[in-house]
Amino acid sequence: MRFGCLGTLCRAAALSALFTTGFTAAALAHPHVFVTVKSSVVFGPDGKVTGVRQSWTFDDMYSAFATQGLGADPAKLPDELKALAKVNVEQLEEASFFTFLRINGRKQSEFSPAVDYNVTLDKDKIVTLSFTVPLKSPTAPGKAMVLQVTDPSYFVAFDFEKDKPVTLENAPGGCSLNLIQPSGLSAADQQRLKDVMNTNDSPGQDFGFKLASRAIIACP
Amino acid sequence: MITSTKPPAQEHLLRKAIFIAVAATVCITVVSVASAHDVFAQTRNPFDVGITEGGGQATGITGWILAKQIYFERMLSGAVRAIKTDRSALWTLLGLSFTYGVFHAAGPGHGKAVVASYMLANERALQRGITLSFVAAILQGLVAVALVSILALLLNVTSQRMRDVANLVEVASYAGIAALGAWLVWRKGSALLAVLRRHAPDIGPTPALAGATLGADVHIHGHDDHAHHRHAHDHDHDHHGHHDHAHGASVAAVDPHHVHDEHCGHYHAPDPSTLGANFSWGSALATVLAAGARPCSGAILVLVFALAQGLFLAGVAATFAMSLGTALTTGALAATAVFAKDIALKMSGGDSMRSLLLVRLFEFGAACLVLLLGASLFLGASVGGA
Repeated sequence: MRFGCLGTLCRAAALSALFTTGFTAAALAHPHVFVTVKSSVVFGPDGKVTGVRQSWTFDDMYSAFATQGLGADPAKLPDELKALAKVNVEQLEEASFFTFLRINGRKQSEFSPAVDYNVTLDKDKIVTLSFTVPLKSPTAPGKAMVLQVTDPSYFVAFDFEKDKPVTLENAPGGCSLNLIQPSGLSAADQQRLKDVMNTNDSPGQDFGFKLASRAIIACP
Repeated sequence: MITSTKPPAQEHLLRKAIFIAVAATVCITVVSVASAHDVFAQTRNPFDVGITEGGGQATGITGWILAKQIYFERMLSGAVRAIKTDRSALWTLLGLSFTYGVFHAAGPGHGKAVVASYMLANERALQRGITLSFVAAILQGLVAVALVSILALLLNVTSQRMRDVANLVEVASYAGIAALGAWLVWRKGSALLAVLRRHAPDIGPTPALAGATLGADVHIHGHDDHAHHRHAHDHDHDHHGHHDHAHGASVAAVDPHHVHDEHCGHYHAPDPSTLGANFSWGSALATVLAAGARPCSGAILVLVFALAQGLFLAGVAATFAMSLGTALTTGALAATAVFAKDIALKMSGGDSMRSLLLVRLFEFGAACLVLLLGASLFLGASVGGA
């Protein structure tokens, strides 16, 4: 009987733990900002990568938010946009510009403060933020350099642009560029997701990779 | 059919130790689970709207949801645009916003955690819990509308200024959660201690416990002699597996509202019609404020976007449709909280003393959760925002 009592308490503890897990582990990704990415890998004269030039176009909702209160006096708009770009790149520095470089398997995300930054608006007031992040120590890309633009917290959803999202600037001859882009899910994958939705299982480790984009640069 | 051979005093000590250990385990589990999921990591995102949002990993199913949401948000802004030419698109916008509210609220969010914990900690009537969820969600919508109306519509401030103000609102709401949690921990902690003390023979009458058991307000009259009764009947109880049988059965049969536990503590369960007499407007209001004061990023974005399109009122309508959707999810969670507690009580086998302990443990654990959540969100946001 004593054991019965203890068992009950254990079950109670397990149940409360389970319940707590229920609402903290339900950490669903919910991006609020969507960015279309164009990146350019910049090479120095010695063939080493010196930095990455980013051009990010925001979705219409975030664009409206970012430009809120700007342009009341059209003459001041260019200055206001410059100030907006400055604030953005300064804050981005803490997030390592959401730019992740791996050269020959080693993380290479030590960047100097961004340069050449500006914000432009198209006719629909869609915001594009451009800036260059210089590498603290320029490195030769060697056999494999991987570039990813992503927000690990998934507040911002970054996606490479469909047409020529990554370019190489001043790259030495013989360098190649490969883009591994999310190709969308196959019918079989969709079915697998539907199945695991009901059973609450994981669809498998490779699923995240299917949805992540990366550029792979290789030089002789 | 195991009979206890241990001296009663030793048994009390053992029990007390187990109870405290379980309480501690629940609290530790809460912290470790939460920290493992980065719930407390609150660094400001350069592109946030002043409100920090939890995120998930793009692995597995969340990656798929992420892909769907890209599509979904495009639809939301598309619907706002469509209203310009076709007024009936407003219904599309409202439907989308409602759905957005339902699913968005299914993600991590302290609002849900606060309401669910409140339900666990207080075990109020289910209907009231659902009402609280609705009021909190409507408040959340109101705050977003007020924020954008004043800052963007009236003052036309920049996005950076809006972020600063939204962040202030957020930090204040976190402080509110921490305060609510501290108050709950104090109340529920003393209630738990009161139950634990009932095991010690030298403690006098137990004060009436705050809160309710099994959905009913319960008054417990401590009796100095309860320990003696317990000792006398211990063997008998264990043999029958009915802890309240030997002493309380005849009384309980006559009056179902008057039951005795194994310690002969008198439970006086009042008539269900008096339910809620113990209901505290203060704690309900605090819960609504804590859960609903912080606006959601999605609402702010829709409002600012609608304003930019010259359709501010459509944005307001969309915000309240979102609130209704959020209320649906939060209400369901509040209901789950009540049912979870119910199930735990049923598992305890109908023993009133065990049930009471379980209730107190649950409540204390939930109170701990609110305090931890509030304190860490507050610290995280005030550090991250600085």
